[in-house]
Amino acid sequence: MSLKMPPQIVRLVLLTITIVVVYLVARSFLTPSSFGQYAWYRGDALEEIASRQPVFAGKKACDECHSEILIKMAKFEHKTISCETCHGVSKAHGDDPDVKLAKFTDNQCVRCHLSEPAKPKWMKQIEPKKHYVGQRCTECHLPHQPNEVP
Amino acid sequence: MKTKFTRRNVLSKVGGALFGVLTFSAARTSKAVVQKFFVSSQAPKGYDPTKHRWQMAFDIDKCIGCGHCVDACKTENQVPKASTYFRTWIERYIIKKPQPGSDRLRGETVVDSPNGGSGGFPPSMVPREEILKSFFVPKLCNVCEHSPCVQACPVGATFDSPDGVVLVDPNYCVGCGFCIQACPYGCRFMSPVTHTAEKCTLCYHRITRGLKPACVEICPTEARIFGDLKNLTPDDPILKFIQNNKVQTLKPNLGTEPRVLYAGMDKEVR
Repeated sequence: MSLKMPPQIVRLVLLTITIVVVYLVARSFLTPSSFGQYAWYRGDALEEIASRQPVFAGKKACDECHSEILIKMAKFEHKTISCETCHGVSKAHGDDPDVKLAKFTDNQCVRCHLSEPAKPKWMKQIEPKKHYVGQRCTECHLPHQPNEVP
Repeated sequence: MKTKFTRRNVLSKVGGALFGVLTFSAARTSKAVVQKFFVSSQAPKGYDPTKHRWQMAFDIDKCIGCGHCVDACKTENQVPKASTYFRTWIERYIIKKPQPGSDRLRGETVVDSPNGGSGGFPPSMVPREEILKSFFVPKLCNVCEHSPCVQACPVGATFDSPDGVVLVDPNYCVGCGFCIQACPYGCRFMSPVTHTAEKCTLCYHRITRGLKPACVEICPTEARIFGDLKNLTPDDPILKFIQNNKVQTLKPNLGTEPRVLYAGMDKEVR
């Protein structure tokens, strides 16, 4: 009984095995080691995306030194506003208190309080052209205690 | 010169190649293991993505359209300042009064978003007396349960992370743009800097450090609510929000099941 395969079949089998082996080897080289750690993606990407440094310091960081202002603010309507909303990015100031913050201007007040029909009704809105023209907002309103008069 | 194909010759070469491959992959794995332990990364330590579940929600009745969130997002994530690149933006919906004499309840709906709401909204072109009602809708990645963008990505560069954020792996993205076409909410863009797809990450670098996302941190009216569903406190803002509001999602008919919730949304909002 002859078990010898025809030579063309042998070649085809060998070629198929070679292609499969080359594919497996190439895949093991090209696939990152963390691919498939959680699912069909590179698990290390999570750490890489998380490694970016935050820009905004957050209200908690301000609370470390300026807690008395935040305690005062908590009684007034501006309690929901984060410090950096009006004072700008303050991380540099938090790391080194000598770094001064950006200057506070009336534009900051108008940006939120400008009259606009799309704003909800509870929001206190003004027309800057009709509301005490020529005076600065802080002459009559305290930004940290909006309901009190200076 | 003629190569001799003897059995001994071929077998020894194949064996050598196999050995080389095995040694190389073993060396690669051990290098990765060593790197994990000894090379310090900027990533926050001790953060386990399987122990968190992030949730974003919006209260439309609280949004005043000041655009602080848009600017904060651009600053925090170094999004290009041009008016075509946004990770989050605000839309102004204006529903006009119906034409006099018509039997309609509402008139035409006008939606605008000048520069994504960055720097606040200029007065609308629609005169006040023609407006039936108007409101702002903040938008960002809807973090879908069945994300079309994740399904569209051919290389596995965009994925749904174990803590419930849809992220893009910038080192793996080939910039084909299929995900940008696939997103029904228009939440992705091609970064002109890296030429990879970019989108809201819910400020993944902040939330893994225990901070709030930049837009939530900066929102003056608490229109944006953020929380961790796996670590809820009894008076958690996100819990209160869901208890006190009737919530819905954007485009529920598409079956993408967005995780971002909206309260106070009108039927015109898409």
